[in-house]
Amino acid sequence: MNLQRIVIIGAGTMGSGIAQWFAQQMCSVELVDNSEEQLKKALTGIHSSWDKLVEKQKLTSAQVDQMKKLFEIKTLDQVSKDSDLVIEAIIENLEIKKDLFKKLDTYFSPHTIIASNTSSFPISEMAQAVSPERKPRFIGLHFFNPATIMKLVEVIKGEETDSKLCEDLYQWFDSKDKKPALSKDSPGFIVNRVARNFYGEPLRIVETDDEIKMKEVDRILKEVGGFKMGPFELMDLIGIDINYSVTCSVWEAYNKEPRFAPHALQKQMVEEKRFGRKNKRGFYKYD
Amino acid sequence: MTNVTFDNILINFGFGTKAEKKEILKSNSGKEIYMDLTCYDPAEFYADHPNLKGSFAALFCDEEKKIEVHLNAKSDAFINKLIELGFKPVETTIISCGFIFPRTIVQIINEAHFALEEQVASRKDIDRAMKFGVNYPKGPFEWALGRELYVVTLLNELLQKTKDARYLPSKLILAGRKP
Repeated sequence: MNLQRIVIIGAGTMGSGIAQWFAQQMCSVELVDNSEEQLKKALTGIHSSWDKLVEKQKLTSAQVDQMKKLFEIKTLDQVSKDSDLVIEAIIENLEIKKDLFKKLDTYFSPHTIIASNTSSFPISEMAQAVSPERKPRFIGLHFFNPATIMKLVEVIKGEETDSKLCEDLYQWFDSKDKKPALSKDSPGFIVNRVARNFYGEPLRIVETDDEIKMKEVDRILKEVGGFKMGPFELMDLIGIDINYSVTCSVWEAYNKEPRFAPHALQKQMVEEKRFGRKNKRGFYKYD
Repeated sequence: MTNVTFDNILINFGFGTKAEKKEILKSNSGKEIYMDLTCYDPAEFYADHPNLKGSFAALFCDEEKKIEVHLNAKSDAFINKLIELGFKPVETTIISCGFIFPRTIVQIINEAHFALEEQVASRKDIDRAMKFGVNYPKGPFEWALGRELYVVTLLNELLQKTKDARYLPSKLILAGRKP
């Protein structure tokens, strides 16, 4: 497989990170967004990140010059129709995504692979928006934030995705310093499913809004378990509202299976608008 | 199970059934006992056995040998002995069935087995995803290797204590359990 021309739709945190990573693999990248302001912000951020990597001697000036030449910001009607791979990284809204895929399907050439970076919607459901000819080339590629640093890419096979395409993409990412993992199209894929109890079980150990206990659970899981962050400080960083929403979505998708049930404390925190670091009040206080 | 005895102290290491653990406490009633209770609720043991002075969870410790320790009363002699035996004790004041790390990790291991059972991904890819997607120090199957019996015993204990179906073990982890 040879991926040379990449289009990333959505210049938010994930889209920009994915675009930057592909450019660092010396692929030609076109980053697309409806907002010109967002595109300019992304471009400035990526250029600045590359300049810092040169200062730190992680990249050479020649490499960065090349990457800057390969990287462009565009509107959708300006991008190359014969791109090899298009990755959608827009807002998590199924209807908006489906509308976009319908447009992408008619716009791009038949050989273009269309992928979604969704963390929550079934790939097979989104694939309904594209033509029968495109379905074998419609896939999930779930990157992790920050995409330039986190090595995992979940390669998600939808019902009609070509198995050979999954294998080829797996091999391609493997050859590019990513760590791909092939996943079935099931709720939460691998990580957002298996990681649920890293939060759910500590919540059941502390049971109540007790900061001293939470601090102790975080300490033990870091010191004894070797985790980089404890569950409570991590939920505060991710956003308790976002973590609660993912938990509820996986729980609903698995027909309220008790293993995924949210804890009452999560709901309480969200109701009290204690979202974590972003508003300085979560399981911990950040004054 | 292995017992290490010194002065008037007995440290009981290793896996045993609840009945076996309680028998050690009964038959050594004159000694101060510290016991590996990774798979059980220390509170249940403390209530009936005043000679149990502390408990610890060593069954999931890795090559770093860091273990969670709960003490009913401060005991330098016991802690020093653990250090002498190569362990790095980390004290906790929280008494929880399965302690903190084992209780959390068995649920992650169980979920990984459910995912494998449903053919969501291969063992290798599940381990890889958790290590490189969320920076876990080990993959769930690496953690579980050779410890399936402990995982199942702790899940069953949690199930019995809480009556919550979230602790039902997956068929695969049950199949991997060794007597």
